[in-house]
Amino acid sequence: MRRGFTQVHVSHLPEPVMSARLQSLHAVGEAGISIDFLKMTPSGMSFLVADSQSDPVESALKPIGVRCTVRPARCVVEVHAVNIRDEEGMIARIVAIAIQSGARLEHICDMHDRLLIVVQEQDLEPLHQELLKLAEAAK
Amino acid sequence: MRVKVMKFGGTSVATPEARMISALRAVSAKEQGFSPVVVVSAIGRTGAPYATDTLINMLRDIDPNVTPEPRELDMLIACGEITSAVIFAHTLKTLGHPAQAFRGGQAGIRTDGVYGNARIMSILPVSLQRSLDSGMIPVVCGFQGVFVPPQGGPGAELTTLGRGGSDTTASALGAALNAEAVEIFTDVDGVKTADPDYVPQAPTLRKVTYDEVAEIAHLGAKVVHPRAAEIAMHYNIPLWVKNTFTDDEGTEIVPRESFPGRRATGVTHTGKLVHLQFDLSPCGDAEREALEGRIFGTMARFGVNLFMVNVSPSGTGFAVPRSQYPAVEDLLDGLVAPVCSSTYLLQIGQNASKEVETQAAVLEGAGKVQRVVAAVTEGCTMVSLIGHEYMRQAGLFAGLLSTLFEAQISVLQTSDSDLSLSVLVPEADANRAVRLIHDRCGLSELA
Repeated sequence: MRRGFTQVHVSHLPEPVMSARLQSLHAVGEAGISIDFLKMTPSGMSFLVADSQSDPVESALKPIGVRCTVRPARCVVEVHAVNIRDEEGMIARIVAIAIQSGARLEHICDMHDRLLIVVQEQDLEPLHQELLKLAEAAK
Repeated sequence: MRVKVMKFGGTSVATPEARMISALRAVSAKEQGFSPVVVVSAIGRTGAPYATDTLINMLRDIDPNVTPEPRELDMLIACGEITSAVIFAHTLKTLGHPAQAFRGGQAGIRTDGVYGNARIMSILPVSLQRSLDSGMIPVVCGFQGVFVPPQGGPGAELTTLGRGGSDTTASALGAALNAEAVEIFTDVDGVKTADPDYVPQAPTLRKVTYDEVAEIAHLGAKVVHPRAAEIAMHYNIPLWVKNTFTDDEGTEIVPRESFPGRRATGVTHTGKLVHLQFDLSPCGDAEREALEGRIFGTMARFGVNLFMVNVSPSGTGFAVPRSQYPAVEDLLDGLVAPVCSSTYLLQIGQNASKEVETQAAVLEGAGKVQRVVAAVTEGCTMVSLIGHEYMRQAGLFAGLLSTLFEAQISVLQTSDSDLSLSVLVPEADANRAVRLIHDRCGLSELA
């Protein structure tokens, strides 16, 4: 589990949305802010930054007139599952269990040996417990 | 004893000439003071008489409507490697080097009981060690092992290891025999920065970490199987990918601490995906979660592989392999989901199918039925950039997306992790997207 992230949600971008997304991303990049978990939404995008970057990211986006919401206290849960792609349906199974835990999943991505799930701090413990049960059952 | 495990893939054993070249490599290793252990795949690739696909088709051709039993399928496809190992061992004998062929079980490879995708549980390489001690070259069938049921039974059951299984056999034997190196021989010079069909000038990587190569394989490149890289990483065995037919030095795969630094490693593509985006905006929080649970639970139960999963308050999306899309459509289109006090009816695609209309008619009078529509985009490809300590650069996303935008390549979704950054693009643009990202990251200059 990794703590200390802020979710930045950029919305209501003008058409063409892709062009406006790029303008926002350039502004963040030029401010020297590294982002993770970029996800496109119909009218914008969302991404994570380190908590320490939440003020700088707002300052970077404000001058270009972008509407953004900054939500701190986000965590990344790493579910280690070696060769996740070999086990058919494995990703769906983990996601289904994570949803069952009552956690509100904000982002998901996968690597060769793990699934990364972004949740709010308050959802961390119930999610962790459900995932531990899954890991126990897999043994 | 300096053990070296040498795995020869399908093309390296496809013809008598190829087998002779491969056998000479094993002989050369022996002459250099190593004790080689050879692992072989089935002879040839798709279409070849003893290739795995050919054997499977022999069974399916009897009646395509009858699904073969996984147990019998494993017994059949294991014949490809058995044939290959016996012929390879005999080739070595003709060169004056005593050799012994071993089935996976005879080599001491014990697996779990999952036919078709078994996992190695243990290796007791007693017979291999004995063979090596007596100066022989053991030739082991890749891709297979045996399962010994705990409650006993008539005998050990033959199992196969699933995709990339021969690489896994080689790596696992390397660990069990405390090998000095594991060499994976194939028909390319090593791990390339991109698919040479897309980027003909893509250079061969001289050194790469286990993590990087596992991620490259995970995201679509056919190099070393991720499971093989994982085992090598766990046991710290030097792993090489080399070309059977050239003297190129190949790619060395090493631990992360042996090859530090920030770099782009390669660009991969995973083709033939279908993207589904469910509009869940009309649902409340509790209903949305329950519906998502139902959708993902169904995908899990039927073993659907998901790519680029995306969840947000307004909807859920993911991509599935085109080969699995008909099954996904069957499972989800017309699915009725009573959630909380509402009833939801799932519709795949903008136009309602007969199934959906039938369900809607049946549900008439049963209270309010809310339709949830999934927008479907067929013909997608996931293009991924893999790098080591590369993804944390400020402005990387903006730069890559700008490059694609300027080339008028639409990006349907993105996904990223510590090691990779992926974009979902139309299949028709995949080739251009790979080349553009490859160029932008200066990967051609690695040559």
